[in-house]
Amino acid sequence: MNSSLNIYGTPLTSRLFIGSALYASPKIMLDSIQASGAEVVTLSLSRQNPEANGGQAFWDYIKSLGLHLLPNTAGCHSVKDAVNMALMSRELFETDWIKLELVGDDYNLQPDPIALVKATETLIHQGFKVLPYCTDDLVIARHLVDLGCEVLMPWGAPIGTGKGILNPYALQAFRDRFPETTIVVDSGIGLPSHATQALEMGVDAVLLNTAVAKANNPVLMAQSFAKAIEAGRGAYLAGPMAERNTASPSTPTIDSPFWHQS
Amino acid sequence: MTSRSINQDLIRPKIAILGAGLMGRMLAVSLMEDYQVELFDRDCGDAKQSAAYLAAAMLAPLAESADCSKEIMQLGARALQQWPDFLSKLTEPVFFQKKGSLVLAFEQDLGDLELFKSRLKGDEYELINSLEIKEIEPGVNARFNAGLLLPNEGQLDNRGLLLALSKTLKDSGVVWHKQAQVTRVTPAGESPMYHCEGHEFSQFDWIFDCRGLGAKEDAMSDNQVNKPLAQLRGVRGEVIRLHAPNVTLSRPVRLMHPRYPIYIAPKEAGVFVVGATQIESEDSRKPTVKSALELLSACFSVHRGFAEAEILAIESGCRPAYWDNEPKIKVSGNIVSVNGLFRHGYLLAPVMVEQCLHLLKGTEKSSVVTKIMPLLMVKDG
Repeated sequence: MNSSLNIYGTPLTSRLFIGSALYASPKIMLDSIQASGAEVVTLSLSRQNPEANGGQAFWDYIKSLGLHLLPNTAGCHSVKDAVNMALMSRELFETDWIKLELVGDDYNLQPDPIALVKATETLIHQGFKVLPYCTDDLVIARHLVDLGCEVLMPWGAPIGTGKGILNPYALQAFRDRFPETTIVVDSGIGLPSHATQALEMGVDAVLLNTAVAKANNPVLMAQSFAKAIEAGRGAYLAGPMAERNTASPSTPTIDSPFWHQS
Repeated sequence: MTSRSINQDLIRPKIAILGAGLMGRMLAVSLMEDYQVELFDRDCGDAKQSAAYLAAAMLAPLAESADCSKEIMQLGARALQQWPDFLSKLTEPVFFQKKGSLVLAFEQDLGDLELFKSRLKGDEYELINSLEIKEIEPGVNARFNAGLLLPNEGQLDNRGLLLALSKTLKDSGVVWHKQAQVTRVTPAGESPMYHCEGHEFSQFDWIFDCRGLGAKEDAMSDNQVNKPLAQLRGVRGEVIRLHAPNVTLSRPVRLMHPRYPIYIAPKEAGVFVVGATQIESEDSRKPTVKSALELLSACFSVHRGFAEAEILAIESGCRPAYWDNEPKIKVSGNIVSVNGLFRHGYLLAPVMVEQCLHLLKGTEKSSVVTKIMPLLMVKDG
């Protein structure tokens, strides 16, 4: 398992990746991103008419932070759309990183696993470093790794739900089965404790957006996530105690007077 | 002008107002008594290029406070009180309503409604159930089980107002230069200057720059330390106007939506304004199918009477905004720039005018507006 975090060879200190959507203003977005300490910011071209640089002013704000940009293909429903958006993003943001999102179900925004594998193959052939947003399905993940993905981004819960890690068993299995792959939990994180839980499980990083952007105080929430992620990682490295079914006193009782023992 | 003597005109200071959108027109009406006002308009007088032409003209300070600062809410509440007085100065009546607004959410969006409520920066609202919703707006979809009534919100007819302002200015003889595109030229190290073919700006005592996004290129050339932060940007919005005589809504309804607030604002004569999308893009294209679908399905889901509504127009435009989405009055010598009203043009216009009047009188520091929001006004030097 990776002791230090890197994305396709780029070393990172922060294990929090943060999104740039849904903030009340660009100022609040920039303040929140800075408060989070994140070094990777995701951004979307969706609906911005990128062909005419429609979002330029907004992108300039994000670029002014000087962080790693991770464009995504949010809103794409087909391989063709996702590949086109990836190509456009590479040109606009001068990065070969792409967070590949392919919606397979409009109701819960679940990724389409078949299209995801196809698009990953196409993009890797075109020189992209793909960070695929996937479910916790181990077989699909294996295909993605076999295609050359060094990073996998399984969901914790559907996008924007804030429900936390709905299936910890599956996520733990995911972590354990891909010990050499960087695992970033993407989507579903609502509270700092959810992020802590993911990091405690040995997940390498967490990507979130709504949890910070829609908090009443996004800057404070961003700071709280940074601390939670640090705590989770620390706990993972420290090695947690084993759970027991029976109580075990933390203070030895053999030398205590009998009237203190109940 | 005809009723004034030449002497009166000689002593009245001269003011150029650049931009004939909402701010430009309202300032002109507010200043025309005491100043010689000339209005410079890149349009033909119909305001079709202004953000104000599209806006739903909601006067909803509390609802907006879910996504703006408390200061903006307070200024909006103050402006709401000022609107009737301002409208009374116009030569034609304008539809103005203060019957509150209704916030509704479908079952699957109740979490968003809860979040919305928790973000409001005031407490003048009532939680209402399905029976109460039916009582105050009998026609809405029976599937709404919960909502909020914000009794103090208002709205007006944006296009009616723009026309009434235009008529008032015309009746008062204010000089209105149409199709007069003004650009700002700022030679290095010198004070800003304006250029417009056939006009000389040095004759004016004050210049009020209310060009909205028309001033974007100028703002970009400002010598600021951090350029992106000084820039104006456009935030795209798409709006649909409908004629729906079968719809009985009597007050604006705000529907919870995962990305942006959607309003259905009833105007006069069965006209409804449904909007608006809010997309971080200066996309100047016509509205997209996706946005139209979102807006139309939103209104249809609220009231089935929209099924046979006539689509009068589907339009798009961009709102001028600074990076904090808050307006600014920037003063540099005798040049005053009023800009960045974002989605709060109608919400805030009267207090922006009020503050400009204080600036002209030199009483801006002691004004109520300054007390509420000291950072509204930025002075060079």
